[in-house]
Amino acid sequence: MGVTCVCQVPVSEGKSVQQTVDVLHKKLEQLGAVKQGSFCVDCETYHATGNVSGQPTKLLYVMHNSETPLSCMGLFEGGPCMIADANFDVLMIKLKSHFQNAKGHKVECRGSRYRYCDFLIKVGTVTMSSSARGISVEVEYCPCVVPGDCWNLTKEFMQSFLGPSVPELPSVFAAKPEGLFAPSDGVDTMTQYLELFNKLRKQQVPGSNVR
Amino acid sequence: MSGGPAVRVSIESTCEKQVQEVALDGTETYVPPLSMSQNLAKLAQRIDFSQGSDSEEDGIDGKPRDREWTKQEPEEEEGTVKFQPSLWPWDSVRNNLRSALTEMCVLHDVLSVVKEKKYMALDPVSQDPTAGKTPQVFQLISKKKSLGTAAQLLLKGAEKLSKSVAENMENRRQRDFNSELLRLRSQWKLRKVGDKILGDLSYRSAGSLFPHHGTFEVIKNTDLDLDKKLPEDYCPLDVQIPSDLEGSAYIKVSIQKQAPDIGDLGTVTLFRRPPKTKAGTQQWHVKLEAAQNVLLCKEIFAQLSREAVQIKSQIPHIVVKNQIISQPFPGLQLSISLCHSTGEKKNHRATPDKPKPDDHLYVLEHNLHQMMREFHKQQLSSVVMPHPASAPFGHKRMRLAGPMAYDKAEITSLQHNEGLLEKIIKQAKHIFLRSRTARTIDSLASRIEDPQIQAHWSNINDVFESSVKVLITSQGYEQICKSIQLQLNIGVEQIRVVHRDGRVVTLSHQEQELQDFLLSQMSQHQVHAVQQLAKVMGWHVLSFSNHVGLGPVESIGNASAVTVASPNGEYAISVRNGPESGCKVLVQFPRSQTKELPKSDVIQDAKWSHLRGPSKEVHWSKMEGRNFVYKMELLMAALTPCP
Repeated sequence: MGVTCVCQVPVSEGKSVQQTVDVLHKKLEQLGAVKQGSFCVDCETYHATGNVSGQPTKLLYVMHNSETPLSCMGLFEGGPCMIADANFDVLMIKLKSHFQNAKGHKVECRGSRYRYCDFLIKVGTVTMSSSARGISVEVEYCPCVVPGDCWNLTKEFMQSFLGPSVPELPSVFAAKPEGLFAPSDGVDTMTQYLELFNKLRKQQVPGSNVR
Repeated sequence: MSGGPAVRVSIESTCEKQVQEVALDGTETYVPPLSMSQNLAKLAQRIDFSQGSDSEEDGIDGKPRDREWTKQEPEEEEGTVKFQPSLWPWDSVRNNLRSALTEMCVLHDVLSVVKEKKYMALDPVSQDPTAGKTPQVFQLISKKKSLGTAAQLLLKGAEKLSKSVAENMENRRQRDFNSELLRLRSQWKLRKVGDKILGDLSYRSAGSLFPHHGTFEVIKNTDLDLDKKLPEDYCPLDVQIPSDLEGSAYIKVSIQKQAPDIGDLGTVTLFRRPPKTKAGTQQWHVKLEAAQNVLLCKEIFAQLSREAVQIKSQIPHIVVKNQIISQPFPGLQLSISLCHSTGEKKNHRATPDKPKPDDHLYVLEHNLHQMMREFHKQQLSSVVMPHPASAPFGHKRMRLAGPMAYDKAEITSLQHNEGLLEKIIKQAKHIFLRSRTARTIDSLASRIEDPQIQAHWSNINDVFESSVKVLITSQGYEQICKSIQLQLNIGVEQIRVVHRDGRVVTLSHQEQELQDFLLSQMSQHQVHAVQQLAKVMGWHVLSFSNHVGLGPVESIGNASAVTVASPNGEYAISVRNGPESGCKVLVQFPRSQTKELPKSDVIQDAKWSHLRGPSKEVHWSKMEGRNFVYKMELLMAALTPCP
């Protein structure tokens, strides 16, 4: 598990989502990356019932990552997060009375996985109820676990194929205490994905770039 | 003789008995004759006792027989007492009685005195030995009789004893069966089904998943004919094992050169003699152990053949009847066969004509058994049980995979996805590679004497890795020339060589590669040796190169070269040694020693003649010395002039 950075790539003008994704793939292959299968990250939303009125309902997000196939992550936005066994989904069904599934809000991100020496690059299409909302790129630098040490390197690498749309240091890393050993783990990755999904969900359906 | 009818003549004795009566039909009844006593009585009645003399005593005994005796006595008495007719007739009787009384009184007195033992004592009269000797025949007969009675008594007692012993034996046989059953139960699992006792000899309770039932039946063997002699290995308990587990089996693993004819497959028969049973073990124990071994061998072979068919590999494995054939290396064949002999038909050949070399790798067979048992253990291991109620069965670490967010690499490292066949093939490859490496090194060592090659094999090995340290030295100069030391790590398919100077070379399984490598190292050693020798001898090393780019190209490795100069600088020795081209030694002389001095005006000073000039080659083969370094030392010594 290394340091992961998730960022959104804006769809190029005049091109569809798929075409932009293809362009990215080609760039990566030119760079020398090797395709290694596919990946999938999805997120389901649960409303916490039995809440006192006046307070906004707390939303529980249950996310899966194909990189950790036997795990299931449960996150409250900005709140505590947890990594659990795959049986957590079954548990959520049993907790139907306390957490209701918001079925229309399931978000998925699927795409292909590339490996370039120590880097893992995943280019995916974010879909919500089978409509493509955007493109996500996840870059992971495997050897390092401290984000502060490798952020510059990761940024430089991303610049080589993403071009101008390189993000700044993700907020999850900025929030880590400076000077202390604060390794990053799967929770940081999932938090980033969640932010991305929420951002894309709030965005209205983009004008002309559907499918 | 006239032929008249025969006349019957009858003879009849005169009738001496009186006829008592004649019956009407003519039969005569005789008076029965008088018996002897009756006759005597009749005679006695005729005697007139009133006429008799004074000695008439018939009061003593009334037997008529004595009357005649007494009749005689009075006649005698009449004769003696004729001159005393006035005496009383009972006088003699009285006298006799009186004397008898006297005698009795005396006897009584004597006995009472003797009883006190004060005044008189009884002394036995010594017997005359000759008079009392009974004849020997009587003695023999009497002894025989007494012995006969004693013997009869003893025989009666013996009969009783044997009867009771027979009864005891019968009881004990019953008890023996129970004690044998107890012993059986202490080692094997038994259960009672109806009136039969069944047992389980499979490994199912130890974690096996083989679908064989493995039940055996216990048979009572107690009703025997008592008259017949019991066989020596008699056991009141017998077991009946399933028919397909009879005999003995083993798994033969062997590596051979690839068989050219594929039709020979599937015809492996064994026979390895079954191991001798220990003296104290029971027959049922031997039988059950053999059956269990057969079952385990069958399970192993079934697992191997299942994997051979299912697992895809580059070169497919062939499964034919009781043999699995795979190719670990090109040109080589690994065959694993299940050899099961039922033991019914004996080997027809009493002794084989020529004993085939036993290429059965016992280590691999043992490893197969061990791996199978390990697999069994894993099914039941404590790593699996106890487990939380909500977690699925599996390795303990796998339960952590979810909460610890293991990625795919970590998960695959946890799971054992290597089957039995793959493991055994890897082990076989390693064994083969190791033996071939050893053979290569040994052949080189025996072929080449200078320099010498030594191999120190490590005692502690892994199933997949062994290591050997190879030293190349010159005889007599081990302390000086020890720069070539190689550590070979023999793996499954490759050999990794670590040089003393830090280089790491990976060699493939090809035999030639290792041989070439060692030859090139040996050639380098010679040059290194010259360098070390120079230091010892005080010569200066002018140049040294492990891989020279000049001269003929070597097909194995590279040639190395060194140039050393003598202490006073006058002479220089250049050595070039290559694995194929051999060694070439050149000596450079000072200019003053050359025969023809080129005259020129350039060189004016005489001191320039001390510089080194042209070089000459040394006939190295004609040099004295047993090895290269020795020769070099002699050469150096020869070129260093005495002061």
